[in-house]
Formats: sequence, C-alpha cells, structure tokens
Amino acid sequence: MEELEKEETLSLCERAVKAAEKDGADEAEAYICQIHKTAVDIERGQIVKTVTYTDKGLGVRAVYNKAVGFAYTNLLTKEKIEEAASKAFSSAKASKPDPNWKSFTMGKCFTNVYKTFDGRILELSSEELVDIASRMLQTATEKDERVFVVDGEVEASCATKAIFNSYDVSGYDKGTFISCGLAAVAREANYVTPVCFEFDAKRTLDIDPEWVGSETARLTSSALKAEKVVSKPYTVVFTQLAMQLLLNYTLVNAVKADYVQRNQSALKGKIGEKVASENVTIYDDGILEGGFRTWRFDDEGVDRRKTIVVEKGILKSFLYDNYTARKEEVDSTGNAYRGGNTPYMETPSIESTNFRFVPGNKSTDELISEIDSGLLVYLLQGAHSSNPVSGEFSVVAVPSWKIEKGEIKTAVKGAMLSGTVFEVLNNVSALANNERQVGTLVAPWIRVENVKVIGR
Amino acid sequence: MELVEVGMRLGTEYVEVRAQRLFRTMLTMKDGIIEAAKEGLENGVAIRVLVSGTWGFASVGSFDKTQLINAVEKACKMAKAASRKVRIPVKLAETKAFEDKIVSKPRKNPAETSLAEKIQIAASLNKTVLNYDHRIKSCTIDYLDITGTNYFINNNGTYIEQDKLYVWSRVLATAKEGEVYTFAREEIGSTAGLEVFEVETPEAVGERIAKRAVEQLKAKTPKGGTFPVVIGPNVVGVFIHEAFGHLAEADLTLKGSVLIDKFGKKIASDVVTVYDDGTIEGAFGSFKYDDEGIPAQKTLLIKDGQIVGLMHNRETAYQFKTSPTGNVRAEDFRHEPVIRMRNTYLAPRDCTFEELFEGIKFGYYLKSFRGGQANLDGTFQVGIQEAYEIVNGEIGTPVRNASISGNTLETLQKVEAVGKDFQLWPGRCGKGQLAFVCDGGPHIRVKEVLIGGGA
Repeated sequence: MEELEKEETLSLCERAVKAAEKDGADEAEAYICQIHKTAVDIERGQIVKTVTYTDKGLGVRAVYNKAVGFAYTNLLTKEKIEEAASKAFSSAKASKPDPNWKSFTMGKCFTNVYKTFDGRILELSSEELVDIASRMLQTATEKDERVFVVDGEVEASCATKAIFNSYDVSGYDKGTFISCGLAAVAREANYVTPVCFEFDAKRTLDIDPEWVGSETARLTSSALKAEKVVSKPYTVVFTQLAMQLLLNYTLVNAVKADYVQRNQSALKGKIGEKVASENVTIYDDGILEGGFRTWRFDDEGVDRRKTIVVEKGILKSFLYDNYTARKEEVDSTGNAYRGGNTPYMETPSIESTNFRFVPGNKSTDELISEIDSGLLVYLLQGAHSSNPVSGEFSVVAVPSWKIEKGEIKTAVKGAMLSGTVFEVLNNVSALANNERQVGTLVAPWIRVENVKVIGR
Repeated sequence: MELVEVGMRLGTEYVEVRAQRLFRTMLTMKDGIIEAAKEGLENGVAIRVLVSGTWGFASVGSFDKTQLINAVEKACKMAKAASRKVRIPVKLAETKAFEDKIVSKPRKNPAETSLAEKIQIAASLNKTVLNYDHRIKSCTIDYLDITGTNYFINNNGTYIEQDKLYVWSRVLATAKEGEVYTFAREEIGSTAGLEVFEVETPEAVGERIAKRAVEQLKAKTPKGGTFPVVIGPNVVGVFIHEAFGHLAEADLTLKGSVLIDKFGKKIASDVVTVYDDGTIEGAFGSFKYDDEGIPAQKTLLIKDGQIVGLMHNRETAYQFKTSPTGNVRAEDFRHEPVIRMRNTYLAPRDCTFEELFEGIKFGYYLKSFRGGQANLDGTFQVGIQEAYEIVNGEIGTPVRNASISGNTLETLQKVEAVGKDFQLWPGRCGKGQLAFVCDGGPHIRVKEVLIGGGA
C-alpha cells in the first residue's frame, strides 16, 4: 500500500493545525491514522474468502471561544485537509462554549514500549496466511467428526498513528497485530451445541494456530450432552472471555472519570474505600509489553502509563483523559482513545488500555479442585444488556460446565447468572496463574463465591 | 467500469465494484454540553472478485486509479492463493441485470440543514429530559446523519446509482434516588429526512424517556423463574430480530443454526407470521436496491407457524436453489456485503390489549428492551428496561433489571395470542458491521418464559 512515512504524516497534521489557526481557531489538534489489513476467512468448514483493507484519514479538532469543533477527511490532499480544518473551525463557532474546556494536551515526553511491532507480520504472503488458516482448520476438524467449524479468520494488520497540536505536541507510532480464531458447533443425534470460540492474538508473529484448532474442537465436543442445573448460589470460575464481557459493560465504565463526573458511576466518591475482595488488584497498564492496546502515547498525545485502579480491594484511581483530568485539576492517565475501524473519524473518549488483574499463584487445576459444587463459565450471552450505572447484570452462561467435587463435569444447558458486578468483585476467592489478554482485559481465570444461578 | 474490465482480464468469474461518496454529521451532547460536533467526508471503493470459487475482497479508502488497479490485482492474487484449499467452490444464483438511478427527495434534507439547527434539536431533547424531574441525573444524546451516493457496477450488466440518506438519534437518561440507579434509552431513525423530528418531537421523546427512568426508581426486582408474559411491540421486535431473524439469515442457517433442518416445517404456534420487509417507505431498514444490485422486497419468513422463507444473498440462493431476496448490505466501502435484516416484524392478528392479559394470575408485562443476543443453537437473552408485574390480569408494580431467556423454537411454540396493534422501532444491528433496521410487531402473550434478574 501507499504508506505515508513519519515526516510526511506529521507534516500533514501540522498543515491542518496551521490552517485551523489561520482561520481563527484559538488552538487546534490533528490526528492521522492509517490501517492496513490482510485476512483469510473461513466459513462453514472451508477457506472461502480473502480480504485486503487500506484506509487512512485525518481528524482535526479546532477550538474557538472554548467550543470544540471536529471534522475529518479520508482524502489527504492539501485542499481536503484545509477544508476539514475550516469545517472544524466553523463547527466550533456553531457550538456553545464549554466552560470546562481548558486546552489541548501540553508536554511531550513519551514512554518507550516493547513488543508492539514486528516487521515479519507485514511481510506475510497470501500463501503464508492461507497456510496458517488451513493448519488451524485442519487441527480442529481432524480430531472429532462431530465438530463443525462455523467461522474463522486469520488477520494481520498494521496501524500507524500520528498526532500534532498547537503546543508542539508531536507523536508518531506504528504497531502490528496478528490474530487467528475459530468458532465451531458440535452435532450429535439431534443436539447442536452453542457456538464455542477460541482465538490467539499477539502484537508479534507468535500465534499458535494448531492450539486454537485443538482447543476449539475440545471445547465444542465437551459442550455436547448438556444438562440442566438446579437454581441456587454456586461457586463460579469465570474464564477471561466471560470476565471480559461481564466487566466491559460495568466495572470498566464505572472507573472512567466522565462516568464518575456525570453521576453515572456507582463508584463515585468511593476512592479509598473497599470495592472488591482483597485478592483483587487491578492496573490499567498502557505500556504493558505486547499489550493489545499498548502505544507510546494516547489518542490525544498524552504519554501512556500504568495506573493502579484497585489495590488489594481498595479503589485507588479513576481513568482520565485530558478533558476530565483538567476539570478536576489532576493529570490525565493517558486513557484517551479513538476506537473502531476508523479512529480518525472519532473524537477521543476515555477507554481502558490493558485492564490487568494481577494473577494469583494457583494452577487452574488447583483452582477447580477446591470447588465442591460450581460452574466453569466460558462465555456470557447478553452482557451488553447489563445496567451500566448500577452494575446489575442478568446473563446466560453459554457455554459453561458443571464442577463437582473438584472436577469439571458435563456441560450446562442455558443457565442464567445474575447479580451486580460489585458483589462479584467482593466475592472473588482466588485467581489462577493462567494470565492472558482478551480485548482490553488481561487476567487469569477468576473464582467467585456465591453467584446466583437460575437453572431451568 | 475500467476496474471491472481489469478484473475480467485476470480470469475472474465475477467482479463487482462499489464506490461511495459519503458525508456524515455526528454530534454528542452530554448534559447540554456538545462534546464535539463532527462533520466528515469519506470516499472509497469496495471490490469483490470471485476466482476459482473463492472470494477476494478489497477495500480502498481512495479514488486513486493506480491504487485501485493494484487492489483488484491483489484481491485476485489472494483469492487464487486461497482457492487451492477450496472443496466446495462458491457459485452465484443467476439474476436479472438492472440499470437504475435512485434519487432521494427528503422534505428536509440534512445535507442542506445547518449544524446549528441540528444542535438545536439535541438541545431541546436535553432540556426536556433534564427538566422532567430532579431525580434525573444525566442525559446523553447522540445524533447522526449520513448522506451521499453509492455507485454499484458488476460484470453481469447491473449499474445502479443510489442516494443514501439516514437520520438517527439516541437518547439516554439516568436517574438516581438513594442507592438506586436506573437508566432509560431510546432510538429514533429514518430514511426520510429531518422531518422525522416533526412526528417524534424532541419534547415527546424526551418526556417518554425521562418518565421511564424515573418510574423505574420505585420498581422492584423480579423473581427468577418461569412465568406467563405479555410482551410489547418493542420487545417483540427485538425478540423476533435476535432470537429468530438471525437464524433465518441463510448464511447463518448454513453455519448450523437450529433452522437448518426445519425448512417447510412448523416451528411456531399457528398465530405466528413473520415478515422481513425492505419496502416500507421511510422506515429505517428500507432501501431500493441491496448491495448486490438486487431490488429489496417483502419476504415472508414464517406463515401461520410454518417456516417458508429465509433471507438470501446470491451465494446462499444458489445453494438453496432459490432467488436472492435483496437483503444484502455493507455498512460502507470498508465492509463486504452480507445478509442483513431490513424491517422485521411479527404480523398483527385480532386480540385486544385487554384480552392478552385476561386470566394471567401472576406474570410480567415486558414493555421495552435494553439489549438482546442469541446463539446459533437458539438460546436467546433479552434484557428489559421497562417491565411490570401482572397480577390477576391487571398491570401492577414496575420491575427493573429483568431479562428473559429461553430457546427460540420452544418460545415461538408458546406464543398463545397475538394483538391487533402494531409498532415498528428503529435500531442498529451488529453482525461484524453495522446496519440500520427496524423491528416490531403487536403485543403478544407467551405461555411461559424464563425470567432472570433481581440482584
């Protein structure tokens, strides 16, 4: 692809900032993101599709009389960039002043980050990607003929980000990513299992497609012969996939400063108080080695850092971007984020980076062996319908397995879990040592006592 | 045109090119403060080629000719590499070729309306919500409009120019009293113009949402267990969409949804008839041609309990030996075209609202949803934001944080009665990419459903 290099990218950003200032903006900021992706897709048990994707664009924020305007373009010509800058300026003029607006980010001392770029990912040929997909698929299907692969993908991508503002904050960073994943069902007689899913993703070329294949097959076939459970409180072990879903719509929002400042967080005013069991220590680690969300700076040019959120159960800090931090006259924690496929279209909002639960020292076997009657919950359905303010949830645990007398037994048919995320955090009795990252969550399997389960 | 020819020269079985010029306006207002008003321009091209039975898809955010020709070549090369492994080659159902130009004529075109006027709509919504009651703690409003033109061309002779027009807004209110937090939200969406806000006025919408958030403060949490329920159009819609609709998207049916061996069979009680209709004027899920160049239509999915139709693209239509249904959409040039629902609903019958509640000793009335999700095996979950107890046939105390779950096929069989009212609700559906849809129906009664929730 036609990739812009560092100097050219930054000079385009600078052009947008200068254009907005010339129009009359008090201050301005420009952000460029380029994304290039190559993927091989599996559907219904075979490789059926390849995808290439190239997009780049520029987003510019302009401030006039404490009102912020924004415009973007994905055509990076001189004219379109200047047009975007003046649109941003005129939309600022059309908006009302925000008394809480202070200024864009100042200061520019970026951290070094590690294992976030691997040139080998860029050099993978079509044949090599097809080969990874095909090894993963074969491992999944050769083991057990009841297993049927529904979907799968191998994706290699590279993104570059650049930022420039009126205060000479200037940053450029480049990162790679590769992932492979499979979703499968198993069929026996008239029974179809729910979809089971496994994946491996890294910032460097270190994925293990065979592991993904064999794990997907193992999970799927063990989900056959599901049985109902009796409604009562159980000890529940959440895998990272399940815990990520549970926290993403509840706790992760509750620690964002904008939720707190706007009375949308049940954690408001609870800094220094106990909000979780003393087994729980959580960092938001924006510079975690090889972390999915590790970058040198956040999406408004603040250096990324490691923030302690919960220490031994005590709430320590919320997550801030520049705007919310300046409102309280504290430092931004470097959590400004422009998301999705097209970050240049977005204005920054607060997002966790790598939300890390410090692991325990039990193996998963030990964690399970201490449970008399429990559930191992792999995935949740309906977590996005949780109450984002109170943290109340009511979700279906599929797939999940029974744990009896310290051993994992048969799969469970459509049991529901309910409670609040804060009860869950307070009832964490142990964490295993099998840390991995799923989405923004970096955690091991987590054991929680006394979770309300409704069988059927 | 040139790109299609390049593709043909490279030995493809099929080539299509979709070019887009899009303009978007977005704004977010939090408690009366504009977070950022955004305007933007996006141009790009999506190319799909079929080589030896394997798809190659390329998306390029540019109109640069050299870059586009490179992309076609790369797509062909990658598809060729992948086709070495293909066992069952992809084939497409034959279709007619269409040449057409669709121009949208809104009464109030968002592209010609000033940003200040759009900010004003959000401001009056915000004011209505925050002034409703002192227990309302926050109000977030998102507004989006998309205008522009799509150009579609393929090597079968289809050429379509089609204007795009979407207006969407979402309002979210939270309320707090003591330690009880509640929230309510609702979406407005239209493919007509900004005139949608003349019907759904900011004042009416704002009051509806604020009232719901406040009323939930006194709500109790539900008992867990199995109960008879009356479900309102808003929840019926999301249930039909999530729990049934996705399973009837032929690509998901083929991936092993529980419908795979049910075609032509009775899967629901006699009173259940379901349509997916892309032709309702101005509805959020309506359009003239889909992103494979096929005209949108009204598709009957369930007729009196029997499944008679699925939603198809050209690829699945070939496999099922039928015709494509005009359900294919791509969010923009960055995404490949896939089977999506349009306006999906359960058709009304003849029960009155009161008849639906008759004889229920204890149950729940589920009025509006918070979110829903389903698995291919038919397990579904729908979170409920507004619900009430039903006691001796009467609507009683409000209930919060309920959710329902069950198996789609079992639940469809338990639909006992269907009302004669009807409502469609706009929404956005995610399937790896976003599509604008509507769903709805009348009030219905279901014999029993599993209710979860209650912390």
